[in-house]
Amino acid sequence: MKDHLSRIVDKYPANIFKNRKEHIVLVDHDSENPQTITANTRTIPGIITSRGCCYAGCKGVVIGPIKDAITITHGPIGCGYYSWATRRNKARLEEGETDNYLNYCFSTDLQEGDIVFGGEKKLKRAIKEVVEIFHPQNIMICSTCPVGLIGDDINAVAAWAEQEFHIKVLAFSCEGYKGVTQSAGHHIANNGLIKNVVGTGNTVTGKYSVNLLGEYNIGGDSWEIERVLTRIGYEVVSVMTGNGSIAKIKNAHLANLNLVQCYRSINYIAEMIQTKYGTDWLKVNFIGVQSCIESLRDMARYFDDPVLIARTEEVIAEELDEIMPVINHYQPLCVGKTAALFVGGSRALHYQYLFQDLGMETVLAGFEFAHRDDYEGSEVIPFIKEDADSKNIETLHLEPDEKHYRLVLSREKYETLKKQIPLNYFGGMIKVMKNNSVVIDDINHYEIDEFLKLLKPDIFCAGIKEKYQIHKSGVFSKQLHSYDYTGPYAGFKGAAAFARDIALGLTAPVWNMIRPPWKTEPMLEGSLIKEVI
Amino acid sequence: MMKDDPNPVRSVAENPCNMCMPLGAIIPFKGIENCMVIIHGSQGCATYMRRHMAEHFNEPVDIASSSITERGTIYGGEANLKHGLNNLIQLYQPAVVGILSTCLAETIGEDIVRIAGVFQEEQAGSETPAMIPVPTPGYGGSHFEGYFLALTGIVTALAQPTRRHDRINVLVPHISPADVREIKRLLELMQVQYTLLPDVSATLDAPYTQIYRKIPAGGTVPADIAAMPGARATIQFGATVEDELSPGKYLEINHGVPLYNLSLPMGIVACDRFLNLLETLTGNEIPKQLLDERGRLLDAMVDAHKYNREGRAVVFGEPEMVYALGQVLAENGITPVILATGSKSPRLKELLLDLTADNDEEPLILIDSDFAQIRKHCADKRINLAIGNSDGRILTEKDGIPLVRMGFPVHDRIGGQRILTVGYTGTTQLLDLITNTLLANKLKHYRENMYAKHFPFQPKTIMFKGEVSDDGQF
Repeated sequence: MKDHLSRIVDKYPANIFKNRKEHIVLVDHDSENPQTITANTRTIPGIITSRGCCYAGCKGVVIGPIKDAITITHGPIGCGYYSWATRRNKARLEEGETDNYLNYCFSTDLQEGDIVFGGEKKLKRAIKEVVEIFHPQNIMICSTCPVGLIGDDINAVAAWAEQEFHIKVLAFSCEGYKGVTQSAGHHIANNGLIKNVVGTGNTVTGKYSVNLLGEYNIGGDSWEIERVLTRIGYEVVSVMTGNGSIAKIKNAHLANLNLVQCYRSINYIAEMIQTKYGTDWLKVNFIGVQSCIESLRDMARYFDDPVLIARTEEVIAEELDEIMPVINHYQPLCVGKTAALFVGGSRALHYQYLFQDLGMETVLAGFEFAHRDDYEGSEVIPFIKEDADSKNIETLHLEPDEKHYRLVLSREKYETLKKQIPLNYFGGMIKVMKNNSVVIDDINHYEIDEFLKLLKPDIFCAGIKEKYQIHKSGVFSKQLHSYDYTGPYAGFKGAAAFARDIALGLTAPVWNMIRPPWKTEPMLEGSLIKEVI
Repeated sequence: MMKDDPNPVRSVAENPCNMCMPLGAIIPFKGIENCMVIIHGSQGCATYMRRHMAEHFNEPVDIASSSITERGTIYGGEANLKHGLNNLIQLYQPAVVGILSTCLAETIGEDIVRIAGVFQEEQAGSETPAMIPVPTPGYGGSHFEGYFLALTGIVTALAQPTRRHDRINVLVPHISPADVREIKRLLELMQVQYTLLPDVSATLDAPYTQIYRKIPAGGTVPADIAAMPGARATIQFGATVEDELSPGKYLEINHGVPLYNLSLPMGIVACDRFLNLLETLTGNEIPKQLLDERGRLLDAMVDAHKYNREGRAVVFGEPEMVYALGQVLAENGITPVILATGSKSPRLKELLLDLTADNDEEPLILIDSDFAQIRKHCADKRINLAIGNSDGRILTEKDGIPLVRMGFPVHDRIGGQRILTVGYTGTTQLLDLITNTLLANKLKHYRENMYAKHFPFQPKTIMFKGEVSDDGQF
């Protein structure tokens, strides 16, 4: 296997070979030291990465799903247009809510003259126009590359607009060139929310109150998770940010526990809330039947109330009664098949558990914009070297809040519990993968092609940019960014829906009519062309 | 601001009807054989555009990026671009490389033409692909202008003085791979020797084959583009294109190739004009097969006219498509109520005013528009048909106006690459779709309308509730 791997990177020019080699790990749990990987470093130009930009991480991922704010993209038309309704982060109005702007795209559509003479005036006029038409409670401004370069001060414009219109206006300087991936944008968005939103509300919360962090309600995932949590008796104070709202996020500091679903995009705010308000965070995973059960039990253990623990078991049993017949029906079609996963910041890990439920093994997994802790676990954080790119993203230094800082657990209890559940800790991807499987950071177009040939997975889960390449290679691809317009896949009912979609996808009649090239050895390409000539 | 000005100046673009320049500029490069594109800027640009094109074409769309980071914005991105070119060439071995710029690169003053030249000098001795740099700042115009800027750039870079030959140049605007295939079929049926540019018919709609190629087969052969100056004529489907963006004009002025600038062959009149021109240029007769196809279109038009006359349409998209569609509507008695584009195209406005000069109802022509403006005007004009790209779905979701999807992008339906609307046959298919959309809409609301007519004082019951989704998403 090691030989095969080196054959793939051998084709690179020497300097890329060295670079890419460090982003690929062949899992070996028997190695003396824990395995390390290089991640969150600059992308190699020209090799067709799937990574996006800072703006995509901030506007597209973290703040985009907030429904009760109008987001104005300050820049030329492209960025606003390309991030318009392209993620399936669903939202609907709930009782008492009036604002949902997720169907809209607003851009200042800067022209050449604005780039030369500055765009602040146009931004002010744009804000005035949307206020007059929509009367929003909140506006968010996101800047794109040229805005940072021409020096428009969006913070000053936001301050002006707050005064002028008596609404909340947040400014995010998330120019695309910042950082090395969309991950920088996540951080900037997290900073903005903790600085300006969290802590500004005062709705009274109950004993079993939680925030669901890093859950973006793709295809309705968050609704399914919230359904289960509410059944057990939890109160979901806010979701960041799927179906989320400023109106709810501002109360987030009053919840008693933070649940972290997507660690990469939201860990900053989990940490910052802990520092400022004392709230612990728990790494959960609501993707997969067993992982759902485990996460619910961890939560019950945190609050340690016999009634809550009993109720948790009761709900788990009822949910299983409903979904296991469905999963058992589809599982035989999936057992023994292999999967490859290349998705964002956490899904490539979370879905391994769901595949495990279906009897499938993950042979390759990788993240697009992860840091080393996503692979190696949060214990590696003190050892990650800061570089010029990560230093450019502001790290907030917060102090405990005088009024609202409180600890839910006694220190003693906290220490005991920390040994039992992933409290303020994330284990990362490498530990859960089997020996000889491949962990790869920032896989590119060429490497996908090579790994399809090498590992011959039965399914390759990725996004739309990879989907058609995988289909053209004769392999089933499932989009785990948009779910190909199905889902939800989270929670118990989501697992059943996933089992059905995967089983039916693997057994689609078309696979019998085409064959992946490696199943018709030898490869005929060379000889055919010769014959033609 | 005048109150009744249909185009009031607004600072905010709400639900835009156009994309940015580099996206449009990628497409002509995708229609050249063995060609790759690299975008000089932040990697998000390439990623967003790949994503948008892949979802429309249902095909892999691979675009490289020079991945400029904050360091590059301060010290310049030249090293990144050269490094990127080097890697791209080593891994893909393309024959042609398109180099496009972005807002970021242009704002910091990167000169991609110079950098491409320096790169080639540095590589002197080893075989390098042809490099075609086209500066395309996102703020410089819409994707429509980007498309023709790149097309002109390609012709300018590759065309070489060539001895006269018998071929005809055919330059096409941004149309679907299926449309390109249809135009090629017409040319072949007319026994014309031609060079069609850009030929995306196979590159952006590749058949499934046993072996996946990272650069799909097909596309216009660079040597054929080089020989374009020797052609006996250029046919350009670019009626709305300004002269400075017109590759046909470039060939005419610089190489004396006569230019015939037509609108897209959609509808009887435009198709006739195209085929008659081919007949004149080559002396070849229009074959019976095409006359039959023409007859079938006429037959369809006769059968459908009574339904179509009830159509009141809003059309939106790229100028060339809007103009061609305007002609199809005119031929079929469908009232063009609103004709809109997100691009700034003065020529489109003139052409549409000419086309509709005798209409009973003066159409509203919106240039540099967005969907907020289009929707606002739809409200009081009893529109029952929308034709354009899938962003127009907002008109269905919010206002119940049915949408015939064509143009770019089509994101919420499969098969954007296979939408066929040109030639007699393509027009027939489009017309059937339009007529059936009108019929379906009428039948869907029939009971509701009857009920309202005969029981005007009774409250509506929920049985007629529309199909608008609660969150407006799909």
